[in-house]
Amino acid sequence: MSQYAMVIDLDRCVGCHACAVACRAEWKVPVEEGYRRNWVKRIGPVATPHGLSYTFYPGLCNHCDHPVCVDVCPVDPEERTFKSFKDGCTKKMTIKATYKEPFTGIVLIDKERCIGCGACVEACPYHARYLDETLDEPKADKCTFCFERISRGEVPACVKTCIGDARIFGDLSDPNSEVSKLVKAGARRLESKVVKIGPNVYWKGKKKDIHALMSAFAPMEKTWEEVKNGPDRLRRSLIKALV
Amino acid sequence: MKRRDFLKFSASTALALAALDMDKKGGFFKAATSYAKETGSLPGSLGAKEVPSVCEMCFWRCPIVGKVKGGRLVKIEGNPKSPANGTRVCARGNSGVQLVYDPDRLKYPLKRMGERGEGKWAKISWDEALDEVAHNMDKVRKKYGPHALAYFDHGASAEFTREIFKALGTENYSSEPAFFQCVGPVAIAYLDTMGFVVSGTRQYIDMANAKAILLVASHIGENVHVSHVKEFIEGLSKGAKLVVVDPRFSAAANKADIYLPIRPGTDTALLLAWINYVIQHGLYEKEFVERNCIGFDKVRAAVKDYTLEWAAKICDLDVKDIEAAIKLLAENRPHVAVHPGRHSTWYGTGDVERHHALSILASIFGAVGQKGGIYFPTPVKKAHAHCAACSEEHEIEEPDVSLRDNFPFVEPLPGTPTGAIIEATLTGKPYPIRLWGINGVNIIQTIPDPYKTMEAIKKLDFIYCEEMLPGETAIWSDIVLPSATYLERYDALHAYDGLTPYLTVRQPVIEPPFEVKTPYWIAKELAKRLGLKCFTCENEREFIEEELKELGHSLEKLNQEGGLITIKPNPYRSPDKLEMPTESGKILLYVEDYEDEDLDPVPRFVPTPAPPKGYARLIYGRVPVHTFSRTMNNLWLHNEWPENHAWINDQVAKKIGIKDGDEIVLENQDGRRSNPVKAKVTPGIRPDCIYLPHGFGSKSKHLTKAYGKGASDQFLITKTVTDPFMGSTSKRTNFVRILKGEKALEIPELRPVPKEIPRFELKRA
Repeated sequence: MSQYAMVIDLDRCVGCHACAVACRAEWKVPVEEGYRRNWVKRIGPVATPHGLSYTFYPGLCNHCDHPVCVDVCPVDPEERTFKSFKDGCTKKMTIKATYKEPFTGIVLIDKERCIGCGACVEACPYHARYLDETLDEPKADKCTFCFERISRGEVPACVKTCIGDARIFGDLSDPNSEVSKLVKAGARRLESKVVKIGPNVYWKGKKKDIHALMSAFAPMEKTWEEVKNGPDRLRRSLIKALV
Repeated sequence: MKRRDFLKFSASTALALAALDMDKKGGFFKAATSYAKETGSLPGSLGAKEVPSVCEMCFWRCPIVGKVKGGRLVKIEGNPKSPANGTRVCARGNSGVQLVYDPDRLKYPLKRMGERGEGKWAKISWDEALDEVAHNMDKVRKKYGPHALAYFDHGASAEFTREIFKALGTENYSSEPAFFQCVGPVAIAYLDTMGFVVSGTRQYIDMANAKAILLVASHIGENVHVSHVKEFIEGLSKGAKLVVVDPRFSAAANKADIYLPIRPGTDTALLLAWINYVIQHGLYEKEFVERNCIGFDKVRAAVKDYTLEWAAKICDLDVKDIEAAIKLLAENRPHVAVHPGRHSTWYGTGDVERHHALSILASIFGAVGQKGGIYFPTPVKKAHAHCAACSEEHEIEEPDVSLRDNFPFVEPLPGTPTGAIIEATLTGKPYPIRLWGINGVNIIQTIPDPYKTMEAIKKLDFIYCEEMLPGETAIWSDIVLPSATYLERYDALHAYDGLTPYLTVRQPVIEPPFEVKTPYWIAKELAKRLGLKCFTCENEREFIEEELKELGHSLEKLNQEGGLITIKPNPYRSPDKLEMPTESGKILLYVEDYEDEDLDPVPRFVPTPAPPKGYARLIYGRVPVHTFSRTMNNLWLHNEWPENHAWINDQVAKKIGIKDGDEIVLENQDGRRSNPVKAKVTPGIRPDCIYLPHGFGSKSKHLTKAYGKGASDQFLITKTVTDPFMGSTSKRTNFVRILKGEKALEIPELRPVPKEIPRFELKRA
């Protein structure tokens, strides 16, 4: 099975925010507090053991190997047939309203079936999801690695606009892909002692910059129990009522 | 050859014609690809109709495609045919969509109802608005003479109306803050030493192929021009070493091998000591210098006392670091990108000298015309349609005393120093100025001492502007003409003559909304009312066809080819055939013309006064998602970066009890106070500076998102020094302290000032 992934090269990134805006434009993400699929956060200038660092956290959904957002989705599973856009192979799978697409490893949301409970939004240790409450019926939303574009032979919008060519996108299951090589060469992902759910976005760069990034944005230290019981009381009761 | 002649010469060079001919033989661009029409209902921007055009979110002018679905602009991407940016556009380029659909946009012609600056208007018709502008132009010209008219301009939207001011006979037909508050000193320094404007609108510096790069306060990456950033990153990724000299640890400094946090105002001291070191240690390209440079011995003699030890003390740097830096640069010669800089109106005194010194350093490294150094622009043949201007050549009769008289080196450029115009408007001397036209520039947030600018405006008989948004310029105008954005109009052919040359054209992606009109239409209507024979084409399309016809092209054909023609670059020359575009064909390390005007023929270090006790120097710069003060109201850009922060050194902050995120007010040496602004406490700035990103703190309530957000640097810049070469005004000669609550906090002096540097004296009340 393929696993699409992204490596962001901080040495090539100048923190211009083109990625964040191109994504907003491509997917009409409303401008509300916390609504974004793709973001740039600035770090520093801050002292690190390796020298002064002024770097960035260009972030997006990690499309994790073990996505807690999928685990907490309370929507009843349904069987669905998936078709690979690469070779046309099909596969049957039972999915909730959010799921890991079997041919790409991309975590997607079935907007038709999303009940807008926000459980996945709260569960994500990377704050990569938001609940779009500008809609008549609120729905969860997040980065799809531009599934709709890549399945039509295009590259993700953020990759296409990146002025420093800092974003490398590809298939980790292919050992010859550039992402595989960069990961092998030591690109790092955002993990912490208790949050190890196999994220598929990596960063590479100077020691000081990686240190600054890891220090500032390692995922929140939530235990599995906390994540599972994460949604606030109101949402929990809502989920119980619906499930 | 005189400078003036040279400019004419360079504008009409025919080299590129050959390139175009080769294009026809299939030399340079791929087979024609027709641009996509809108198809079906695909997700996102997929399946949109694509129109090639040129960005103007800033003035770098990247080729773009506008993507339209159901008559609505949904997305902007880089034009894949462009050899400069390809599919890439920056955050601002992406956000052009929200300039078009900004709910605050000017929709109709407006007439001022309240006081100037109040922003109270009534909607009027185009006929009324144009009649009133034309009537006032005519009246002021007849009453006070042609020079009583002044035009502040920037960008393509301003070009047609500039022709009208020219035709009316004023010498003040182009007063560009883009020159007099930005690139003036660097442009002049290189024009006078190398014979061409190595840095003005463009920077002809080959970072992509450099083995070492020197940046003196150029914060590339925070200052985003896509192909420029791309070349910088390309150079670094190929292993170029980077030296950054900047009082602030910028995004570029973060990528440096050697970072030198220099004391502001001492850059020339460092450069002169480096030049001396290079000469003393034989680290220069002897053959190149002998063959191509004039005045080397005079430079050697003039710099002989500037030692690294002296510079270390003046610049507050470690002598080991500055020696390591110059060695690193020298060992990579001649493939060294000594970046010329861009924004250079820093201290008024010594600005041209600083860039002259950079030009000398590049020259003795032999880093001119060579890979990785300063390169030559590739002339791109551009035809001019007669109907895009006025049909008669109007002689401008110089006034007895010209506003340009005091500035001997402004001559090759069309503009009048903005500071001189404001002064003349206030005093009526040497002649009265009674009408201002403004186009494409926010004069309040761009020119130092806006308080003075506002006083000058109050004295005018009439002021009007052409604008897209109701910013400060509009609220100070008597008549506001709503102008089309770059996505709604044609502009003249756009030639890029950098490393990746091309020819393209700006064309409308969508129609102008409401009663908005294009700059050509507005100029044509004004000319008609003033009885001028100008702009005889029916519309923009007609003159673009005329321009293209001369090149054997048409708009339709151009669009079939993706809207852009790639031209073969010709940036390098052999050191034995350098043929510099100066009169002698050589680089003038020593500029005799300067000596003739009692200016330094070889740069000399003249210190700018240090901050008075209790104050820090106010420095400023850009954030990567905004252009000047033009984009702060843009929905997407505002969302990315709604307000600025004042950078304060962490040790200073600790001593005066400021924490990161605290709300503070800055007060300058004249008692002028900023809007409240949040403190950013960081080790990434020297203790003797406070940094405030430029363009925030809008004073126009009509900009509903930008109004009052963050603090304006410009409203703290009230003390200026005028450059003696071309009349630009300094912007880094102001000092601030911090107010928290109402309590004034003195900035402790953590880096003592050596006695060679005088201290700015506060006016005591």
